[in-house]
Amino acid sequence: MDLILQLLFTGIGIGAVYALVALGFVLIFRATNVVNFAQGEFSMVAAFLMVVFAVDLQWPYWLSFLLAIGGMAALGALFNLGVYYPLRHRTYLPVIISTIGASIFLANTTLALYGPQPQVLPPVFETQGFLIGPVYLDTQYLLIIAVTAVLVAFQYWFFEHTLLGKKLQATSQDKEMAALLGIPVAGMIMLTFVYSAVLGGIAGILVAPVLFVSIQMGATIALKAFAATIIGGFGDVTGAIIGGLALGIIETFGAAYISVPYKDAFAFIVLVAFLAFRPQGIFGERIAEKA
Amino acid sequence: MRTTRRVFLKSAATVAAAGVVAPSIIRPASAQGGTMRIGMVLPVTGPGADAGRFALNGAKIALEAVNKAGGVLGKPMEIVTEDDQTTNPGAVLAFSKLASQPDLVAFLGSIRSTQNHAMAPDILKTGKPVAFGGTDPVLTQLGNPWLFRFRPNDSFSARVIAEYGVSTLAKKKWAIIHSTDAFGTSGAKALTDALGKAGATVALDQGYTNQSQDFTPVVLAIRQSGADVIGSYFTFENDLGIFARQLRQLGVQAPWVGSASIVNVTALKLAGPSLYNTYGVADYAEESSDAARNFGKAYRAVMKLAPDNQSSWTFDAVTVLAKAINAAGKTDPKAIREALLAIRGHEGAEGTYNFDQNGDGLHGYNVVRNDKGNIVFDKRIDFYKG
Amino acid sequence: MTGSPRPVAADPVSVSPARRFPVGTLAYAALVAVAVFLAATTPFSGYVLNILMQAATYAIAVIGLTVVLGLCGQINLAQAAFFGIGAYAVGLGTVDLGISFWLCLPIGLVLALILGAVLGASTLRLGGHYLAMVTISFQQILTLIMINWIPVTHGPDGVPNIKRPGLFTDGQSYLALCVFVLAAVAYAVWRMPKTRLGRAMRAVRDNELAAGVTGIDIYRTKVMAFAIGALLAGLGGGLFAGSFTYISPDQFSFAESVVFLTMALLGGVGSPVGAVIGTGLLILIPEWLRFLKEIPGLYLAIYGLAVILIVVFMPEGIWGFLGDQVKRLRPRRAAAPRAQDLTLTQAAASAAPVLEVEGLSKHFGGLKAVDEVSFTVTRGGIHALIGPNGSGKTTTLNVLSGLYTPTGGRVRLNGQDITRFPPHQRAAAGLGRTFQNIRLFRSMSALENVVIGAERPGNAIVAHDRASLEARARAALAFVGLEARADEPISSFSYGHQRLVEIARALAGNPVLLLLDEPAAGLNSTEKNALTVLLRRMAAKGLTILIIDHDMTLVSDVASHITVLNFGRRIADGVTATVLREPAVIEAYLGQESTEGSNVGLKTDLATA
Repeated sequence: MDLILQLLFTGIGIGAVYALVALGFVLIFRATNVVNFAQGEFSMVAAFLMVVFAVDLQWPYWLSFLLAIGGMAALGALFNLGVYYPLRHRTYLPVIISTIGASIFLANTTLALYGPQPQVLPPVFETQGFLIGPVYLDTQYLLIIAVTAVLVAFQYWFFEHTLLGKKLQATSQDKEMAALLGIPVAGMIMLTFVYSAVLGGIAGILVAPVLFVSIQMGATIALKAFAATIIGGFGDVTGAIIGGLALGIIETFGAAYISVPYKDAFAFIVLVAFLAFRPQGIFGERIAEKA
Repeated sequence: MRTTRRVFLKSAATVAAAGVVAPSIIRPASAQGGTMRIGMVLPVTGPGADAGRFALNGAKIALEAVNKAGGVLGKPMEIVTEDDQTTNPGAVLAFSKLASQPDLVAFLGSIRSTQNHAMAPDILKTGKPVAFGGTDPVLTQLGNPWLFRFRPNDSFSARVIAEYGVSTLAKKKWAIIHSTDAFGTSGAKALTDALGKAGATVALDQGYTNQSQDFTPVVLAIRQSGADVIGSYFTFENDLGIFARQLRQLGVQAPWVGSASIVNVTALKLAGPSLYNTYGVADYAEESSDAARNFGKAYRAVMKLAPDNQSSWTFDAVTVLAKAINAAGKTDPKAIREALLAIRGHEGAEGTYNFDQNGDGLHGYNVVRNDKGNIVFDKRIDFYKG
Repeated sequence: MTGSPRPVAADPVSVSPARRFPVGTLAYAALVAVAVFLAATTPFSGYVLNILMQAATYAIAVIGLTVVLGLCGQINLAQAAFFGIGAYAVGLGTVDLGISFWLCLPIGLVLALILGAVLGASTLRLGGHYLAMVTISFQQILTLIMINWIPVTHGPDGVPNIKRPGLFTDGQSYLALCVFVLAAVAYAVWRMPKTRLGRAMRAVRDNELAAGVTGIDIYRTKVMAFAIGALLAGLGGGLFAGSFTYISPDQFSFAESVVFLTMALLGGVGSPVGAVIGTGLLILIPEWLRFLKEIPGLYLAIYGLAVILIVVFMPEGIWGFLGDQVKRLRPRRAAAPRAQDLTLTQAAASAAPVLEVEGLSKHFGGLKAVDEVSFTVTRGGIHALIGPNGSGKTTTLNVLSGLYTPTGGRVRLNGQDITRFPPHQRAAAGLGRTFQNIRLFRSMSALENVVIGAERPGNAIVAHDRASLEARARAALAFVGLEARADEPISSFSYGHQRLVEIARALAGNPVLLLLDEPAAGLNSTEKNALTVLLRRMAAKGLTILIIDHDMTLVSDVASHITVLNFGRRIADGVTATVLREPAVIEAYLGQESTEGSNVGLKTDLATA
């Protein structure tokens, strides 16, 4: 039982990370119909910004965090202008390649500017963790879970209860119709990229104390978050959260009870099983094309 | 749109043309300098970029010393580098690019075993000595006469881990944790054999894939196996760091004897207190010999950083190559090879070099302990029998 | 990764005529001979040799993507996995089993083909980004197997000392072999769009629904494309293993699949030329930039930037861009031979009805869109199916053409029960149709569109060779009055003319029954009059037509028989004049007064009837 609880906590913790990054995927996908291959790099860049401000320059944590988030917002805007906007009238394929190019560019620019050594970002709390009964709770993972919960709640409130959120929803559902209704579509998409970059950045800053800060950190998380996105049914916000958590838990238990080296395969086996038996994901998405 | 497109195409064409022309401009300029050039394949990009930087530093320190002492065959020595991108195809292209320059007399290969495997066919074709740092024992048993190893191979590290754990620490029930890459699997196999011979049991043999984000299941498996000592082969420091922290968090207190990565600079920085009181089987230990101390001093003076095995082997390789070429008296590859094989008792930073017919230069390891973040030399276990 | 993958490149291959003396082919053969000779004899350095071998073997796999993504529009993110299967077959075969290279290579090809077909067969019904997901999963699982199944794959150590085939042990001659294979593959794929399979793939890519109703087995076509793509990846991989004589799992990872995809799209996914350009460029750019190596990462950053810039300025890929420029310069072709008269054969002698619909129902959840509808279409002449908006007309038509499976009831065509047939089998049985919102294959010329129609399986009136098919297509285009513009791309036609091309496509297939879905929608009055005339001419040729339309003028002008639906039920059926006087029909239309203007048409019709 101890074992199961411990694994469950770890699974939820790591799952929350996947979920946060998956959220960024989903938002951009809904707005532009394109999978952003550079989403993981957003997390990586934010973590490096944090290292520069909080560790190298020794600025206060909260200020560093705000600056890093501000930096991510700017990056999101630039990303939209440079990578997506020129191709907005094209099919999804050139845009995908453009985001792949951006991912290579961001990773190696960071490398050129900061050098290759992995960095340590100290956790927010002094105490690393504590025991509740036999289960060890890492404070950073608790923070990650809490922040994920808050962001999900915020997202729900934002999209369902604010005018701006509704405009964003309208844009993602039907750009032409939204434009006819006087919604500034280009502005809405810009906002989506900024918000996704910020989300990815928050995820990166939160996992940095756990997974360390390295050039590769983005790529590794992004692939899993990608799988989480599918399990949750593409383009569904709630689904991405559930998908991320499910993936974290499946992976952790799979590694504990079946095989550690094949850990990364479980995500994809589950994914294939989902597609075979429930292609619409957990929360469903219509895949039939209308005549 | 049309004009911007045209401008872009034009500038793209210019860049492409410049790319074709530029190397051919650079090359003759440096080739005419009358220097003795050796090539070096190292990761500048990709996950190994960090290690690549250290490797280059070590080589540069040796280079300076060699040139201060009069160079090689009366000429100053020079190192030409190519990026292997931390991938196998990248290593092959980087090596063949170097090999296509006929004035390079010898090469430094990779610290990663798979990359050396990938380059081996081209190395054989090139027919010039290659000093490398990969520790997979198979590499020097391929029958490739041009491979010279400047680090002790894993059959030695495994024997040292086993001997230290079983004899000195008196622990018999082992958990082996290893990466599933070439380095990790061959190390774990050798350790299992060595433990068998030493009469210890393996309670858990657990592989993991590189760049794992979480080791909770692995740590819990160690806890459940009841092992009283851990032996490990980790490839990347961030994996090692996450594992170390979770091991301590989940309350596993068994002693831990790890392969060299457990004491390298990056691992110490990332894992911090989680690695206190662990043991490392290090090919480089600063306190192990005068040569090691001297290298440490030189390295600290230049880099303001503690040295580790990633720089010590390239330091030794450059030093020994220079020595061998001077001994051979010419740059003929066969003569250099003979001179390398003839080296006996060379005191390097990594230990005493005595090349055997396979091209293995070192035959022992140092055991070190992590004392609150400081690496303390414990003892050297050497298997070389004259 | 979206719901409907679309073609990227307008196909640059589409306009080369082949019946004249094959100058192009001979020139190509000569060029290949020179390239192979140069590869075998020029003394390359080991570095250049490695780059060329990598480029040649990668390019073969990238051409595989040209087939599956470029021609058929299906995404495959596991190309490196199939590449790896070919490579491991050669590696493990020659090293562990000691089998000849020439035996290992085909084994690898068969394995890649089978796995590709199985993977395709199990997932291609999903399509879009789901396909992307499944292929990524396959890729990841295969990579983990390569790493962890050590007794068989050698694990992460990889497989060293791979044997090259006897005559080609030397690097140069092996390079010559790779170049030759690449040239052959490129030629085959260059020709492919002109073959029946290639046309089917392009049709599926351009418009799946239209492809289905013109008799193309969409699913089979996709699986074929996927399997061919996998096969070529396996071929490239097998040659790759021989060229570097060492392979390891990290060479066949997901990252490599992304590299393959980038190569294909950057070069231009529509043509093997693009694949070769893209591969060469992506291998060469980082090599060119190596002189920037002093700052770690800088040259790869520039490489990433170059990828973005190329895509932004040339979204169709480099060859797509160049191809457009070439096309602009190419002189117009001489006029084609005069079209023959269009023959439409009908078993007119038979008195049996063409279409029998019995108790047909289609429910969506609780909504009974079509509820127990029965009617019969007799041979010859025009039968109209009318009804106000939401009455179930279009649903009925979609059930008839097989796009929806009926909830209940039965459909017989020429006495044959087709109720459970998928669209392409219905087409084979003789059903043709057009769509309300025109569905043409938009990357093709008008002629090519109609050729696909002529190719309808079961169309016995025309021999299925290229000359006969084109003649038939020209005749069909001539019948609708567009013969002169046959070779123009479909995008240059006006809306009304596109509608005519769509009708010509259906006519070329010599259907037993032609379903027309609101053919007058969106046409101006002149075009409507022309359509009326055209419909009469078609009927005069003995063709049986079932037409759905709102336009009462058109319907009452051309139809001899009318079936009226409302709320999914049949409310009237009979001879035109009689039906239009029935109170239920008038009420159904007048009830729509506030929302629809067609009641005006109805009144005039009644007044004149």
